[in-house]
This record gives sequence, structure tokens and C-alpha cells, in this order.
Amino acid sequence: MSNSRNKGLVIKDLKVEYKVGQLALGQMDLSLPEHGIYTIIGPSGSGKSTLLRAIAGLLPSYMGQIFFNEKSVNVKETLIGLVPQNYGLLPWKTVHDNIQIAMKISHTASISKQERENQINQWLSSMGISDLADRYPLSLSGGQQQRVAIARAFAILPTILLLDEPFSALDAITRETLQILFLDNWLAHPATTLFVTHDVEEAILLGQKIIVMPSNKEETPEMIDNELVFQMKHEDKRDSVDFFEQTKRIRKVMQEIW
Amino acid sequence: MRKNRIHHIIRLLFVFFCMNVVWYIAYLLMNHSILPSPFAVYNAMFHLGGQEIVLNVGYSLFRIFAGVVLALIIGLLIGLLMGRSLTWNKLLDPVVYLTYPVPKIALLPVVMLFFGLGETSKILMIMLILLFQIIISVRDGVKAIPENTYDVLTSIGASTVQKFWHVTLPGALSVILSTIRISLGTAISVLFFTEIYGTEHGMGFFIMDAWLRLDYPEMYAGIMLFSLVGFVLFLLVDFLDYKFMKWRGVQR
Ligand SMILES: Nc1ncnc2c1ncn2[C@@H]1O[C@H](COP(=O)(O)OP(=O)(O)O)[C@@H](O)[C@H]1O
Ligand SMILES: [Mg+2]
Repeated sequence: MSNSRNKGLVIKDLKVEYKVGQLALGQMDLSLPEHGIYTIIGPSGSGKSTLLRAIAGLLPSYMGQIFFNEKSVNVKETLIGLVPQNYGLLPWKTVHDNIQIAMKISHTASISKQERENQINQWLSSMGISDLADRYPLSLSGGQQQRVAIARAFAILPTILLLDEPFSALDAITRETLQILFLDNWLAHPATTLFVTHDVEEAILLGQKIIVMPSNKEETPEMIDNELVFQMKHEDKRDSVDFFEQTKRIRKVMQEIW
Repeated sequence: MRKNRIHHIIRLLFVFFCMNVVWYIAYLLMNHSILPSPFAVYNAMFHLGGQEIVLNVGYSLFRIFAGVVLALIIGLLIGLLMGRSLTWNKLLDPVVYLTYPVPKIALLPVVMLFFGLGETSKILMIMLILLFQIIISVRDGVKAIPENTYDVLTSIGASTVQKFWHVTLPGALSVILSTIRISLGTAISVLFFTEIYGTEHGMGFFIMDAWLRLDYPEMYAGIMLFSLVGFVLFLLVDFLDYKFMKWRGVQR
């Protein structure tokens, strides 16, 4: 294998069982270049969350290997920004403190307090939640919590960004706003990103490549190139012919393997 | 919010006043030296030397604090171990289960035999009263924290200490505080018992000393002061609850 093929996130023969003999995630072989967004779509129970948990180092054991730039993914240098399906905010910390603690733990002593405060404020305002800084998560709506969770994941400037259905709690309009916010922030800090969604349109609007998970764990997932749509201006995507074609194509794949 | 608190305080003061009125009526009806009038008692209280009050209240507070802190440290360690590790829980659960029903106050003579009549046995008794409650509530509190609460911190490489500090402790704090609140009453009663012997300071000593000297106004003054100590401790727990449990309020 050439060097360039090993760059980025490489997943080899990954399989996960929570209980012996019961596959939670069928065999995965992925090679995802650095600084890309990859959307994952699949029926519920197909192992999307499990895949992210494996990469995030949250599983006690799995079969196969996960590398980032030729190093095992669970080393300190690969910083992982995770937005779990339930947002994963600590209820006893304010919005500000949730972000602050993640920054403190991930970048021990590398920046001054003042600098950190500036960055927190900047991330809060870029997600449009500056006025929520001193609120506790339990007093926020699902959508507001999702924004906080995304701000926190961006704020630690991760090498790999993992988002598990991050916009699921949003109405259509807020969802579009957040998709744009997300893309803007991502363009400024293009981490290698895995984005799980159950929405076909979202998968096409955001992903460079789209991974379609099969419902049968014995089958292999389908990878669809989406570079054409990805390169367009976000406002134009939805109305383009490519978008339409891509939708048809993915629906067809879904019918085959779901 | 603020208005509510003022109402609350006014209500408390009103009840306090009513209790004094009842007391005064009882005093008039009984007309006997074993129940002095409220005025005599408050008078006795004012004539106590400031130094004497500070010394006695201080000793009692110190013993309670030392007992609570000791119980918290040991209880947190054991409760945490039991909450986070199945093996330790299996090992220690029968121990806790068997020793829990032992009335701790009955251990007073044993503790006195082993540790003498000094400060050690007084503090140990208070610790014993609180310890088992705290172990059990910490264990259950820790177990009740959903496993995925740790996920984000784990994924960015947080250490065990960091996870304890930012997840486990705050997650279990609510149960710990309510346990302290519940056990504090018992702890204060036990403090009284232990201050009867082997000390010249503390509210228990003060009350029994006045009783022996047949100085009833001063004895009642001591009881009032002792109650005040208890009241202040409850206020402190309430304050901690207010300070650290703000996040539970769902007010928008
Ligand atoms: N903690 C767990 N213990 C046991 N089985 C689990 C656990 N988490 C998920 N599973 C199982 O693994 C499979 C994949 O789950 P998941 O990764 O959550 O799917 P998705 O996110 O695609 O909906 C499901 O069959 C689910 O029941
Ligand atoms: Mg899922």
C-alpha cells in the first residue's frame, strides 16, 4: 500500500459484539482521507453509533483495527471531538463550563485563561448561543443543547470529529440554519468528520462521501462519492440536478440493502 | 424568588414567637422552678460570657465537623469503590448489609473502651453514625449516573481523577447532601451523649453541668444554644444544596 492511502482514518476488519455471537456492527473496511466530511446513513440498529463509539475509544473491546495517520486512533495525539446522540452535556455544569472543562482536559496548560475565555465566547457566538453561557443544560431545549454539544466539540479543535445525529431534535428551519453554521465552522477548522444522520437530504448536503450501512450485518456498507454536490455553494445544492440524481441513487441503494 | 425567601423567614420568626408564647403560658400554669420563664432563660443566655459560649459551641461544632468530614472521606472512598466496581460491591455488600442494622449508639461503650474518653471516641461515634448511610447513598448515587455521562470526557482522554471530579462527585452530590441532612439529627443527639463524659467543653457538657448545679435557666439557655448549633448546621447544608444543586432547577 502506498503512503497516501494510509493517511487519514483507516478502519480495517472492524467488527463489534456487545454480547458474544451477536454482531452490533458488521465488518467495516474504510479508508477516509484527512480533512473530509463523511456522512453515514443507515437503518436504526445498523451499528452507526457503535462505529463512532469504537473510534472514540469508548468500547472495552472490538475486533480489527482503527488507525489515524498510521497510528492507532486511541493515542493522545488524536484528539476526538464527540457529539453523542444524547448530546452528552454534564447537567451540573453551565454551558460555558461544559465547554471550558472539555478545553482544559484536552489541552492541558497550553493556553492562557484569557485566551481560553475568548475562544469559548467566540464558539458560543458562532453557534448563536452567546446568551445561554450561564444556563444549565436541563433548562435548555433539545436544539439548544445540540448547539452547545457541537460548540464544545469544535472548541477543542479535534483531529477527528464524530457527530451522532446531531440535528435530530430540530425543526426543518433551525436544522438548515445549523447545517450552514456547521459547514462554515468546519471549513474554518476542517477536522476529519464522521456525521451520522437518518436524513437522506442531510447526508447529501453535508457529505463528501456517503456511507450507507446495510441492515444485514453480513453485508458490507456502500460508499457513494458525493464530491459534485459537496463542491457547490450550500444555497444552490438543494435545487441542483446533481442533488436530485444523488437522492435517487441513494434511495435505490437503500432499497437494495435495507 | 426573593419575596418567597422573605415570606419564609417571616413565617419562621412567627412560629418561633408563638412557641415562646406557649412556653410562657406553660410557665405561668406550672409556676415551678423546673420550668423557668422565657425571660429568665434569655436573661441567663445574655449573662453567659461570650468566651464561654464560643468555647462550648466551638468544641461541639468542631467534633461534628471532624466526624462529618471523616465519614465523608471514608464513605466516599468505599461507596465509590462499590458503585464503580462489581467485584468490590460483591465483596463489601454483605459487610454493609450485616453491619447496617447494628444500632451505632450501642457501640458507644465499645468505642470508649478502645479509644478512651477523649476527643477520638467522640469524633469516631459521630463518624460511625454517618458512615454507613453515606456509603450506601454514595454507592447508589454513583450507580445511578448513566454510564454514557462519562463518554465525552473519556473520548478526550480524561484521567480517572478528572472523571471523578467532574462527573462522579457532582452526580452523586445530591444524594450525599440529603443523606447528611437526614443523619445530622442523629449525629447531634449522639454528640450530646458523648459530651456528657470525659470533657469540660461542648454543649452536652454545658447542659448537664447546669443541670447538676440546679441552675435551670442556664440549662435551658444551653439547650437553646445547642438547638441553635443544630439549626446553623441545617442552614449550612441548605446553603450547599442551593449552591451546588442549582442545575436541577428547570426554570427557564
Ligand atoms: N450497550 C449495548 N449493549 C448491548 N447491545 C447494544 C448496546 N448498544 C447497542 N447495542 C446493539 O448494537 C446494535 C447497533 O446499535 P447502534 O450502534 O446503537 O445502532 P444505530 O446507532 O445505527 O441505531 C443494535 O442491535 C443494538 O441493540
Ligand atoms: Mg444511534
